[in-house]
Formats: sequence, C-alpha cells, structure tokens
Amino acid sequence: MRRYILTRIVLTLPMVFILATLVFFVMHILPGDPVRSALGPKGTPEMVARIREQLGLNEPVIVQYGKFLVSMVTLRFGNSLVLGHRPIIDEMSERFPATLELVIPASIVALLIGILGGTFAASRRKRPIDYAWRIYSVFIYSLPIFWLGLMLQLFFGVRLNILPISGRIDPVIGTTLKSVTNMYIIDALISGNWPALWSVLQHLILPTFTLGLILSGVFVRMTRINVIETLQADYIAAGRARGIRERVLVYGHALKNAMIPVITLIGLQVAILLAGAVLTETVFSWPGMGRYLVERISTRDYTAVQSVIAVFALLVALISLAVDIIYSLVDPRVRY
Amino acid sequence: MTIIKEQRPENAPEAEGWESELERVGFVRRILMSRRWYGADWWFVAIASVMVVAFIVIALVPGWFAPYAPDAIVGSRFLAPGEHPAVPVLIVPVDSTVNDLKDLAVAPDQPRPPVAVVQGVPTGGALNEQAKAIDDQIKNEPGGLRLRPQIDRYPTIEKALQAVVDGTDVAAVIQSTEWEKLAQQYPMLREGHTITGEISTAGGFLLGTNDIGQDVLSRLLWGTRIALIVGFSSSIVALVLGVPLGLFAGFIGGPMDRLLSLVMDSLYAFPGLILAIAITAVLGPSVLNVIVAIAVLYIPTYYRIVRGQTLSVKEEVYVEAARSIGARSREILQRYIFPNVIPSVAIIFSVNVADAILTGAGLSFLGLGLPPTIADWGIDVARGQRFIQTGWWMITYPGLAIIAVVLAFTLMGEGLTEIFNPKLRER
Repeated sequence: MRRYILTRIVLTLPMVFILATLVFFVMHILPGDPVRSALGPKGTPEMVARIREQLGLNEPVIVQYGKFLVSMVTLRFGNSLVLGHRPIIDEMSERFPATLELVIPASIVALLIGILGGTFAASRRKRPIDYAWRIYSVFIYSLPIFWLGLMLQLFFGVRLNILPISGRIDPVIGTTLKSVTNMYIIDALISGNWPALWSVLQHLILPTFTLGLILSGVFVRMTRINVIETLQADYIAAGRARGIRERVLVYGHALKNAMIPVITLIGLQVAILLAGAVLTETVFSWPGMGRYLVERISTRDYTAVQSVIAVFALLVALISLAVDIIYSLVDPRVRY
Repeated sequence: MTIIKEQRPENAPEAEGWESELERVGFVRRILMSRRWYGADWWFVAIASVMVVAFIVIALVPGWFAPYAPDAIVGSRFLAPGEHPAVPVLIVPVDSTVNDLKDLAVAPDQPRPPVAVVQGVPTGGALNEQAKAIDDQIKNEPGGLRLRPQIDRYPTIEKALQAVVDGTDVAAVIQSTEWEKLAQQYPMLREGHTITGEISTAGGFLLGTNDIGQDVLSRLLWGTRIALIVGFSSSIVALVLGVPLGLFAGFIGGPMDRLLSLVMDSLYAFPGLILAIAITAVLGPSVLNVIVAIAVLYIPTYYRIVRGQTLSVKEEVYVEAARSIGARSREILQRYIFPNVIPSVAIIFSVNVADAILTGAGLSFLGLGLPPTIADWGIDVARGQRFIQTGWWMITYPGLAIIAVVLAFTLMGEGLTEIFNPKLRER
C-alpha cells in the first residue's frame, strides 16, 4: 500500500513538469506578443521595451523557463500588471474559495443524480425508465453549459423572479458578513449570520445546479454500466438464488462494488468540472478563479493569466493523485 | 512416405464465396452487413445522419435558407419572435390611387398635399426625412415633380385617421402595429406601403430580431457554417496528428512510447477549455487559431484509443504470421493494424466533432477566439446575455441550434459504437 502511494506520488512529478512545460510553451513560445497586445496601438516602443524588461521577457528562453518552474513550485507568481499591481497569489487566494464553494456542491449534486439515476436505470434495464435515463445522459452531454445557466436564469430569475441571477451574496447583506475563509457559507455559519447564510444559499442554487446537471450525465452513464456489469457477477446470482430481494441486491450488494470505478471517473471529471466552472462563473458573475482568468485575459494581464493556468495545472495533477490514492484504499487489488 | 493431399469433402460448400466477400469487407460494407438493421441503434444512426446532412447543406449554402444576410440590419431592435415590427406606413382611403410616398409628388405650382401624423410620435420626423430624401432624388428628373407634403399633426391616432376619412388630408402616416389594431374600425381606409419603401416585414421575424435589429433566424442559419468549420477542421487536424502517433507509439513500444504517453496523458487530464482559452488568448482572434487551439486538445483522444488497439492487435496471430513471412514493419502497420483501428477512429471522430463544436461555442461565448463580426452561436448567446431581461429569444435559439448539431453528432457516435462494438451492446 505505502509503496503504491509513493510510486504514485513520484509519478505525479513528471505530470506536473509536463503540464508546466506545456503552459510555458503556450505562453512564451507561441507567436504573438503579449506586451504589444496589452498596450495596444498606444504603446510606444519605449514602453514595450520597459515592460518586457520588467517581465523578464528579454532574458534567454531557458532562463525564463527556469524562473517559471520555480514560481510554480513556490507559488510566487509576481505582481499583477493592472489595477493596483497586487501580488497575484493574494488575488487568487480571494478567488479560489469562491470556486471551491461552487465546485463542491456541484459535485455533490452530480454524484447524487448520477448514482441514483444510474442505479435505478440499471435495475430496470431495457425498460422505458432505462431508456429515459440514457436519453437524459446523451442530452445533457450535448448541452452547452453556459446556455443551461442562462436558461435557468431566464426561468427562475427573470420569469418567476424567485432566485438571484448573479453574484455570491446580496450586496447589502454582504457588507455585514465578515470574511474569514472567503467561503461565504462557512463564514456565515461561524459568525452566526443567518440572513447572510440564507442569501448565500439562494445565490448558490442556480450555479450549483448548472454545473451539477452538466456533470451528472457522465455519472449516470458510468454508474449504469458498472451496476449492470456487477449485477451479472456470480455473487449476485448466488444472492438471488438464496432469495435475497432484488432491491437489497441492487442497492446493498451491487452498488458498493460498482462504485469503485466511478471513483476513478471523478478524477477524470475534474477537467470537465474546472472547464465548466469557468463558463458557469462567467454566466453568473461568480467571482472565482475562472472569471478571474477571463477578466484578466480581457485586460491583457499576462502574468495573471499565466499564473491562473499554472494553478489549474497543479490542481489537476493533485486531484488526480488524491483520487488514485483513495482508489487504492477502497480497492485493495490496485497495485503497481 | 506418402504425401496426403488435402481433399475437400464432396459436399462442402463453395469456400470462395464468403472468402472473397470477407476480403472486401470494408468500413461501409460492415455497417451495411450488420445484422442489426432493425435495432434502435440504426434509428439513432439514421436520424443522426439525416440531421448531419441537413446541417452540412445549410452550412454550405446558408443563403438559400436564410431570409437575410447575417449582418444586415433588417428591422427594429428587440422584436420578439413573430412580433410585427413598428414601421411607419401610409394609410389612404380605399379608393385612393396613392400607394407610395412617391405618389404624393406634385408639380411645383400645385398645392402641397396635406398628410396627417400623430403628435409626439417619431413618424412625423421619419416622414419629413423620407420625403426630403425622395424630393432630392426626383427634383432633377424630367416632369418637374416635387414632394413637399404639408404635415398636419393631430393629438391622437383616431383624429388623424378621421381627417383622412373626412378628406381633410390625403393620407396619414402611422405605425403599422397601431394600424393593425384599428384596421377593423376603419373599413374605408387601407394600408399603403411603408414610407421608407423597404421590403415589407409585416410578417414579423420568425425568431425575432436582436439588439441592433438583425434577424435572429438568419444569423442562426449562417452560424451553422462556422460551427461546422470549427468542428470538422479541428477534429480532422487532431485525427491526422493523433492516429499516426498512436500507431507509432503502440507499435514500437519502449521508452519512446512511455514518454509520448506521459505527455499525452498530461494533456488529456488538463481541462481542455482552459488550455484553448490560453492558446487563443496568446494567438489572438481568428478562425484558424480557434481550430488550432481545439485540435491540440483532441490529439490525446485519438492517440490513446489507437495506441491501445495497436497494442492488442500487435499480439494477434495473423500479425505474427505476417512478420514470420518477412513483412516489413511499415507493411504490418499499414495492412494489418491500421484497418483494425478505423472503426474506433470513426466513432471518436463523430463524438469529437460534437465536442469541438461545444468547446468552440464556449470559447466564443467568452469572447475569445472568433472575431466578433462573425455570425456565431456562442457570440450571439453572449450578446443576448446582456439583454436577458428583455429578449429571451436572443439567447434561447442559438443555444438550441448548438444542441441540435451536437446531439446529431453525439447520436451518430452512440449508434456507431453499438454497431461496431458488439460486446458493449450486451451490457
């Protein structure tokens, strides 16, 4: 067990390295001058030269690459090019909790729908309800996430006018909330600020369901296939022969084992989750990492863009590491 | 020692028939020869194919279907689907010979024709402007007619119309939407042309107009083109790069394979949209850059599948046999391994086009990638978002178009999977 985990950690390093190289390649080697485009037509050659000097873009590529790798390991990304020139890591530490607050509930929604729907479909295989769930997962797969978000806004926000369509908290109530962790739910809970908690939850519903529904399609599909496969195993047949009720077999015996591959899937879904978060945050004006990225692209804040993407790369590597370790704990058969 | 000649039993069926048939079995034939013609999956593929063909036709010649050019301003802003645009029209007595504003032109010595308008409504201004434009045009023409209507302003629409009924004025100019409501009450009046003389848009716009008065339907149909260009081109580029890499890595194995796989796996794990955002942000907006950015994301998809299949096919007896009779590596790859990966590549390609269209739409929704002048669904949705309180149709319809196209390609992939992978079907 320990050996597996160690091997897995060691194997994560090349992945981080490759992703970092990829980000560096995209940001530094591809044609296109970030400084010139940041300054626009107004930029004089002297200004361009000065900012290039400031960013260290005049140094040899290999030196830039080394500095970039160091900044990624130490998380010291330097200062923003625009608006007050704050350290980027400070700005990100404000945005990151917002993304977490969106991504965690969304994953829970996706898992709940996926596991329940998938198991239900599998237990009624080839009946209409099974086909309905299959169509659901194909249809969900074809939905543009930003469009789903807008449709929910149109219906619940504009037509029924019962839910807010943008932001994390009502701006008036927001001033009463003291932020400690920047995850507003936790902040509201520890300070006992119930109106704030209510407002936060209201703001959370639409973005959570947008992201959660989009993710749920894949989970329904995978759970269904795995449960069907598990239901064909010998021990299920044995249980059936002993007269154990079908429901107990499906939800008690089969589901537990069918869940193991689904855990791996969660790791693979991180990519979809993060990409979906970028779009969801844009649609709902949710001040998280994704919106930060898009904002900084439009203000041409080159350093910030590069740093956010590097952080996303780190996240992907760490989460896939975590998932694999959990997998090895759940399923003792996994070994290198 | 006697050599036993291999003998075929007398009553054995002719072997040549199926042997030769098997040799000719190719990609298309395998679809046609499948025993599963009657299954639901064939319906998937059939419906999806019809949809795909329809979209391709629309993308090739959007002009045949779209009523207007995508960037032409054809009506008022924010017209709901089917809502009639408010255009100033001429209202004249039933027996009048006047149809157009031009018909009101008279010789300079004649009295100026009086025209009724409603106070405080922009029709008066529009009438003045239009009359002046027409007057400038006709004053140098032979005949010497001038168009200088005398404008009478009335406090209400009813009074203006009554003046025409009474004969005080030769015509009235009111908004067409207002006239529709009142037409029943004035049987002695009829609607002439719009005073601007433009194409009649009395039928309204099927899907409404956007914030600057472009036809949503036309933009939607023209948008098919860019969606399919991005979807197909990026998938083809990814295929052309990913398949040979996968074949190569799977076939030679060793450290080269491990290195390549590590790179591809890292790329695969990275959130595609975010990488595409980075690439387009650096490269700048253009269709070609979007295609490049999306193609990069999908290379690993082809690579992984093709490599996996190559690994398993490589161990087959017939590959070993080919090698034992001295076939070169290139030949083995080309004739024995490559044909085996074609079906899976076809499946991935279909799903991939769908994915690429979604990613492309996401990019342009964020305002990255495509130049903003292009008629694109993602751009249109982003534009509609700013007017979510007023114009639901500006968001809804482009989104439905994305779903339809993506669904068509996804269903095609689904159906093909079931047909080519009989093992999966049993699940």
